[in-house]
Amino acid sequence: MSKIKDLFESGKIKSAFIPYFTLGDPNYNDSIEFGKTILDNGADILELGIPFSDPVADGPVIQRAVARSLKNKFSFDEIFRVTKEIHEHKKDTPLVYLTYFNPIFHCGILKFLDQAKEAGVVGLVIPDLPFDTKESETLFQELRKRDMDLIHLVTPASTKKRIEALKKTSTGFIYYVTSFGVTGERREFSVDLQERIRFLKDTIQLPICAGFGISTPDQAGQISGYADGIIIGSAIQRIIEENGHDFPKAKQSLAEYIAKIRVAIP
Amino acid sequence: MGKNQPGYFGEFGGRYAPEILTEALEELESTYQKLKKSKKFKKELEFYLSNYVGRPSPLTYAERLTKHWGGARIWLKREDLNHTGAHKINNAIGQALIAKFMGKKRIIAETGAGQHGLATATVGAMFGMETVVYMGAVDVERQNLNAKKIEMLGAKILPVTAGEATLKEATSEAMRDWALNVSTTHYIVGSAIGPHPFPTIVRDLQAVIGKEARSQFKKHNHKLPHAIVACVGGGSNAIGMFHAFLKDKNVAIYGAEAGGLGPKPGEHSATLTYGKTGFLHGTKTLIIQDEAGQIVPAHSVSAGLDYPGVGPEHAFLSQTKRVDYRMVTDEQALDCFLEVTRVEGIIPALETAHAFHVARDVAKDLGKKKDLIICLSGRGDKDVTEVLRLLGERSK
Ligand SMILES: Cc1ncc(COP(=O)(O)O)c(C=O)c1O
Repeated sequence: MSKIKDLFESGKIKSAFIPYFTLGDPNYNDSIEFGKTILDNGADILELGIPFSDPVADGPVIQRAVARSLKNKFSFDEIFRVTKEIHEHKKDTPLVYLTYFNPIFHCGILKFLDQAKEAGVVGLVIPDLPFDTKESETLFQELRKRDMDLIHLVTPASTKKRIEALKKTSTGFIYYVTSFGVTGERREFSVDLQERIRFLKDTIQLPICAGFGISTPDQAGQISGYADGIIIGSAIQRIIEENGHDFPKAKQSLAEYIAKIRVAIP
Repeated sequence: MGKNQPGYFGEFGGRYAPEILTEALEELESTYQKLKKSKKFKKELEFYLSNYVGRPSPLTYAERLTKHWGGARIWLKREDLNHTGAHKINNAIGQALIAKFMGKKRIIAETGAGQHGLATATVGAMFGMETVVYMGAVDVERQNLNAKKIEMLGAKILPVTAGEATLKEATSEAMRDWALNVSTTHYIVGSAIGPHPFPTIVRDLQAVIGKEARSQFKKHNHKLPHAIVACVGGGSNAIGMFHAFLKDKNVAIYGAEAGGLGPKPGEHSATLTYGKTGFLHGTKTLIIQDEAGQIVPAHSVSAGLDYPGVGPEHAFLSQTKRVDYRMVTDEQALDCFLEVTRVEGIIPALETAHAFHVARDVAKDLGKKKDLIICLSGRGDKDVTEVLRLLGERSK
């Protein structure tokens, strides 16, 4: 059984807190510390961003994070090294990669998966790889062999037909994109968010975690009332952006923010 | 969607776009399939092409250039004479009509040289649609005349400062806008790139170039030309020119891509020469990337060729060797720009100057009594300031 499935079925959590940040921002070694800090303050699953030069599904905050990260020399060896260290710090917390398909393809799917698994990663989110592509099917099968999950995105624009169709190749959880557009903090969410999530839950039989735009403890508390998890990226990345030059301060602000969100989620 | 599904050209193409866009892409595809067969749509498109764009564009025999180069007879397919000065208007009109048909009130576009932005702003004004154009901040500078025209036409220019601040970043930003406004907005992709069905729609709308050129040449000479040449950025004028000739095995086809300053990564946009298979802006194609799969910034003296990817159909045509793609450096393009201007009395776009350079070599190889058509994709008014600046640098 996959580690993510384990987590959701253990009954230990009602709603998962899934923070995201980009590896390598502002440098790889600080990323290790940021990862540990987030784990210590209460992540149920941690999403690690592998930077890609052209992140079309991301808003300005994450775009800038990626750009800062890529000022360091990018290499998969560095990515896996950092991931491994974060994983060693708290082995029970499942790690998931979020990246675009090009770097994975370039690395070689099998090689990438083996090394990612080695480093402690148990799932992948790939915003530009729709489930109905050959590459996605291949990836899904290879991930299954390794007890790893392919986490699909579903959006407010996804049709029922499409949602039905992606059931077959979904595991872990569904990443429900709460709003139109790209990642970034938002003040309001669509009115039918709760109904959509309920519908998804009934249709797909997987945990539904909501992301894109969530940033405040209030939002986290509210949405975790009906979603199986909430994903926060831009708000965390902003803390790193604003304090990245002052490492102790960045770490402390991160710790405080994570803890605040943690208590807001039941 | 598998390998043999529509939207693939061999292994290239497909739809690798964020999930939020899938609905819109499917809607676009089904609308387009319907419109393609609709007499009303065809008539309307033809109406605008002939009464607004000025089609058919002439096929000019370039007598002076032929003599000057001393090889094959040179013919020019005059897309520079279209309204707004380039082939881009063929596509912009067509897609604006599709958008109107889908009930979308807002159109957006990305632009490098500004010709596609200008074409989109023009149809936006003509059809009364809200228009937004994403343009790299660097290109707003180097193609300032077009940027000014776009604004004068009532469109909004949003300069993109990320990365190299050129065409690649403008394209990413347009995709993000579309993701946010997908229910009200149509994204008029400006080249034969992007997720399916864009490469097909753009090709079909540009195919008029080759269709006209082929029948104009045939009517005049009672045969087909020996070779055709076009420049390749994303590849829209080239695929438009090539399409009608692909099955004519005796017609040699050449594409000219930007060799820039040299062969080092970051110095050129020679995707078909140096690119490797990958995924960018919704399509699987050849891309200039580093050993870790990060996209390498492209360079060209011409803003319209400055793109690290290429339309998937070109990737396929290069793999099957139906088309011979060659590199032209910034210097060679600049020289050809001046040469053609002086000899033939036509100021070509810097993009097109790349095609002229390849054509000169091909014409010499072919020798006399053979015929060669160049797609003159656009006129060079927009480039005059930049060329003067470059000449100033050269004389230092
Ligand atoms: C005159 C002209 N030719 C060629 C191009 C390159 O685009 P494509 O390869 O799509 O024809 C451009 C792009 O701006 C252009 O303005």
